[in-house]
Amino acid sequence: MFAYAMRRLGLGATIILVAMMILFSMIYLIPGDPASVALGPRATPEMIAELRSRMGLDDPVLVQFWNFVSSAVQGNLGVEALSGRPVLTVVMEQLPFTLAMVLCSITWAVLLGIPLGCIAAVKRGGFVDRVIGVLSVAVIAVPSFVVAIYALLLFAVHLKWLPAIGAGESGNLKSQLMALILPSLAVGLGWIGYIARLVRASMLETLEAGHIRTARAFGLPERWIIYNYALRIAILPTVTLLGVGIGHMLSSSVFAEIVFARPGIGKLVYEAISTRNYPLVTGAVLVTTAFFVLVNVLADLVIGLLDPRVRASFN
Amino acid sequence: MKNNETKGFAVNRRQLLVGTGALSLSSLLFPRNASAATGGILRVRSYSDLQVLDPAFMMSQSDQDIMQAIFTKLVARPAGDEWTWAPGDVESIEQLDEKTIAFKLRDQLGFTDGFGQVTADDVKFSFERIADPATGSAYAGDWAVLKEVEVKDTLSGVIHLTGPFAPLWTTTLPGSSGLIVSRKALAEVGGKITTKPVGQSGPYIMKEWQPKQRTVLVKNPDWKYEQGAYDEIHILPIEDEKTAEMGYEAGDLDYTWTAVSSIKRLKENPPADTTVIEKPSLAFVWLGMKNTTAPLDNQNVRRAIQHAIDTAAVVDAAYYGAASTATGIIAPGLSGHRDANLFAYDPDKARELLAAEGAEGITVTLDILNKTERLTAAQVIQANLADVGINCEIRQHDSGTFWNLGGAEADPNFPLQLYLSRFSMYPDPSWATAWFTTEQIGQWNWEHFSSEEFDELNKAGQLELDEAKRDEMYKRMQDIMEESGQYVFLTHEVVGVEYRNSVAPAIMPNAMPLFDKFKPA
Repeated sequence: MFAYAMRRLGLGATIILVAMMILFSMIYLIPGDPASVALGPRATPEMIAELRSRMGLDDPVLVQFWNFVSSAVQGNLGVEALSGRPVLTVVMEQLPFTLAMVLCSITWAVLLGIPLGCIAAVKRGGFVDRVIGVLSVAVIAVPSFVVAIYALLLFAVHLKWLPAIGAGESGNLKSQLMALILPSLAVGLGWIGYIARLVRASMLETLEAGHIRTARAFGLPERWIIYNYALRIAILPTVTLLGVGIGHMLSSSVFAEIVFARPGIGKLVYEAISTRNYPLVTGAVLVTTAFFVLVNVLADLVIGLLDPRVRASFN
Repeated sequence: MKNNETKGFAVNRRQLLVGTGALSLSSLLFPRNASAATGGILRVRSYSDLQVLDPAFMMSQSDQDIMQAIFTKLVARPAGDEWTWAPGDVESIEQLDEKTIAFKLRDQLGFTDGFGQVTADDVKFSFERIADPATGSAYAGDWAVLKEVEVKDTLSGVIHLTGPFAPLWTTTLPGSSGLIVSRKALAEVGGKITTKPVGQSGPYIMKEWQPKQRTVLVKNPDWKYEQGAYDEIHILPIEDEKTAEMGYEAGDLDYTWTAVSSIKRLKENPPADTTVIEKPSLAFVWLGMKNTTAPLDNQNVRRAIQHAIDTAAVVDAAYYGAASTATGIIAPGLSGHRDANLFAYDPDKARELLAAEGAEGITVTLDILNKTERLTAAQVIQANLADVGINCEIRQHDSGTFWNLGGAEADPNFPLQLYLSRFSMYPDPSWATAWFTTEQIGQWNWEHFSSEEFDELNKAGQLELDEAKRDEMYKRMQDIMEESGQYVFLTHEVVGVEYRNSVAPAIMPNAMPLFDKFKPA
């Protein structure tokens, strides 16, 4: 198990390195001078040249890449050229807001998606199964931003139950939770449908398995069989999906952070790209890529813990 | 037996879950306060998060709005519909002659963080620091004619200029370059303030900055003069105008700018307890034509394009009928504003010019920023040009790409021909013309427009203190621009603002706020 975890982490490091190489290539292929964008129209050519030099933009791309990687390994992602603030600080200020939203979205998806999938499988072919099927496809099909805007209009503008913008008052947990409800619902709604469909399909397959028939033959209660035998196996693809889904949700966070004027890593990267703030772009992407890789490694390990067959394959 | 003993107080898991759920639901169902203007807190929107709170290095209007509230100044900009100035935190300020200004500070102004009284020496430091090329301030031009600030005593001083400078009273002193910072504080922080201001001295001080969330200003407890009306001002950075409008309607904001497209709707049907106003902007939007390559190196082709574009239709479509057409780059209310353009919409004349030059059926490119109103404007221009026989290919860019299209290091993959642009402005005509001099070619003069007469007038306009003469000079400069065939002036845009009736906002003629002067109505 330990060797497997190490192998996965090694692979993860390679993925991060490749991702950063692609990012650096893309950054230097797109037009736009970060120094002149940052300094604005009143800057003189000398000021622009000085800032370019300070940002290290005069060095060859490979030198810049090497400088970035060697510093990043030591935990230094550089500094923002204009404010002089460490990039890591800026990124870590924003990351918790995005992670809270992603976590909350996953919670919506898991708490609603898994039970709905189970019920649909148990009631296979019946009215409830059909209703859940239609609803699941519907929430997958509706674009998240449409959900976000309508939810905002209904719950924030019309009913005034929830805040429309921001991340809540600092130090006020209730206010922060209230501010999380709408954006996380918007990001996670589609995933409720995905998970419900996946769990249903997986449950149907598992419920036909030999050990389930044996359990039924022994007269074990149906609820016991479903939750302790069938679901435990049927949920494995869901764990894998959630690992990948976190990456998708990190991407989706951009629109939610803009629509709901929330702070977060998505909006930070979006703005940094618009202003060609390369140190911030590379730093933020490095942190989110590392997080995504870590989550997927953890998902693999969780599957190993849940499924003895996978665990055996580690060796 | 044990269960029976504790039964009266026991809560099982199901009861706990039900109870928690009910509690959560009840708190959710309890409607939130509809107005945010309660408890002495004012919640306002800013266009962007703060970046640098240093008058010498500030980055945006948002920085400027905050700095105006937390630093003292010699000259203030009053709220109202006219661009004027008023004495700031001074007992007196007087122009002795065209090169000399005497001032005396109020005697109870102090810096926070233990940096002592605001003195004439701090004024000297603040202004000379910006003017000093070694500082590397992009705003050195504001003090281009500063010779020195002479310190007479603790509170009094004299500003000596090398020559007359018309923008001094319109933009330099009332703007960020006229704010006073503490010499001692700046020395302590290494010569530059970034996001954490030191030595604050205004009626408000910055209490807290939550990046990308809010900036909190609170009353300065040591401020001895007219107090700010709100205990706290929360400034929320919201880039998207529609999001801000929804935040306002949900009760999360007391004051916000609106999208131009919403002005008409909001004026006809405002949210409850709300005032909606519109103000003219100082900004200018124009269609530029770079004259270095064919077919736009031919002045008659450029003139044909000037005649081909129906500016009223372009502006109506792009700004939903809310904005007016422009007659130049200088907005109404400022010296040099023209009454009319020289070349009106005349498609027949355009066709005639094109035929004379054998230029029917030519193709041109039109580069724009990827914003809705620019695309709409570009599409109307495209239709106008098609009407006279010119094919127009629209190319959209993100801001990072667009703002590098015309500079010295422009991407050769995107050679410029036509482009739509917008510059924001300070309330002095010199800020409109400064970008179109020959010296600016390769920087912001993307059209490569060059005129000796224009360049000379641009220099003279900054030195001329006679308003009538200045007015004529700037009008002439716009005539020269238009005669070159390289410009079609489109609009100065319009700014929509909505605010609670419980708030009496203090706003400048172009709807920019003076947060420290906001009051309850």
